Amino acid sequence: MVERGELDDARQQFEGLVLAHQRRALRIAFQYLRDAAEADEAVQDAFVKVFSHIGSYREAWPFEVWFTRILINGCLDRRKARVRRDRWIVSGDDSASASLSDRRSFAAAANAASPQADPETRLLARERRARMTAAVERLEGRQRTVFMLCHYGDCTPREVGAMIGLNESTVRVHLFRAARKLRALLGGQP
Amino acid sequence: MSVRAPHLQDDTLLECFYATRRGEAVDPPSAEHLADCASCSSRYAELGSFLAGLSEEADAEVSALFPPERLRAQQSDIARRLELVGRAARVITFPGRASAQAASSSSSSSSGAGTGPIVRSRVTRMASRWIAVAAAAGLFVGVAAGTAFKFGPRVDLAREGRRSGTAAPSRQVMTSSQSRLSPAAVEKAVVDMDDMFMSDLEAVLERPHTGELVAFDALTPHVREIRDFAR
Repeated sequence: MVERGELDDARQQFEGLVLAHQRRALRIAFQYLRDAAEADEAVQDAFVKVFSHIGSYREAWPFEVWFTRILINGCLDRRKARVRRDRWIVSGDDSASASLSDRRSFAAAANAASPQADPETRLLARERRARMTAAVERLEGRQRTVFMLCHYGDCTPREVGAMIGLNESTVRVHLFRAARKLRALLGGQP
Repeated sequence: MSVRAPHLQDDTLLECFYATRRGEAVDPPSAEHLADCASCSSRYAELGSFLAGLSEEADAEVSALFPPERLRAQQSDIARRLELVGRAARVITFPGRASAQAASSSSSSSSGAGTGPIVRSRVTRMASRWIAVAAAAGLFVGVAAGTAFKFGPRVDLAREGRRSGTAAPSRQVMTSSQSRLSPAAVEKAVVDMDDMFMSDLEAVLERPHTGELVAFDALTPHVREIRDFAR
């Protein structure tokens, strides 16, 4: 439809795709970026990019594989940009290993998750998530990508292989190593 | 005597977990072993609870950060951005022209006249074009006149003559007496002219070749002047 120039109809059809993939896309983007605003923008960018380049989609793979690949590339670009940006920002305190946006997101998530919970529960939830995030961040780059896509993106090893250009058995190995390392880091408990 | 199958490896347990989660069938020998072996079953349960806990935490976090109203806002943002896809880029006018248009529109709104501001803006545009043309023409004429008349070197020569004090009077004598002198005097005048020419040449050669240094050269004493003064 886009190629035929029927953009209005294409937009209407595309709304369905957005509804179907939005939540999963946000989950993946947030796990990559750990910043709600950036994840929001990354998902928007991915959908817009998919719409404008829909002509280059080949049906050899499911749509979500193609879409997730675009989303991941966008997230990786944003991570790189953030690293470059953080290089120029001098932090005032020693506890600034996590960026300001990270801490803000943790706090927001912990507070919003259970607004009626008591402060102790919220604090514990916040610490648990911080620990999990730190553990996932300590994974080697490819292991982290594979784990995020399999675990948070609900992708099969075959699909992940197609997304990141690895064969299926390599993906399985990375996934297993990531899970083992996470269990070691978190002591068997999330 | 039956041989008991070896325990399942962790990677097999992991595959079983993800297969179950995706709703796929678990590898039958693994499923059979899990049903029979208490040790592997407890390991599988432990792994499953760990990974499920990770997922639940992540889901809770994302659900908290992206409530339904935020999802709807994002959908409308995406729809708004998709509206712009396929449309020609908007050209932003140059600030000067934009401000002129704004001024004309504001004056039109204040005066209420329909064609007045348009005519005025046309006149302004024409005037600015004529000014630009006049400036370019003036520059061209100035450069051409400067090239044709060579104002700079003539002024310098006159100053050199005034400063040296010897060549200029001889030139004056020569020009004033040229018409009434005898051939011998003319021959002497020719020699004087040659001398003057040579001294001018010498002065030009001694002068700095860079135009910017002429002023400094005029301010500083020359060896020739000191020598003449000493004599």
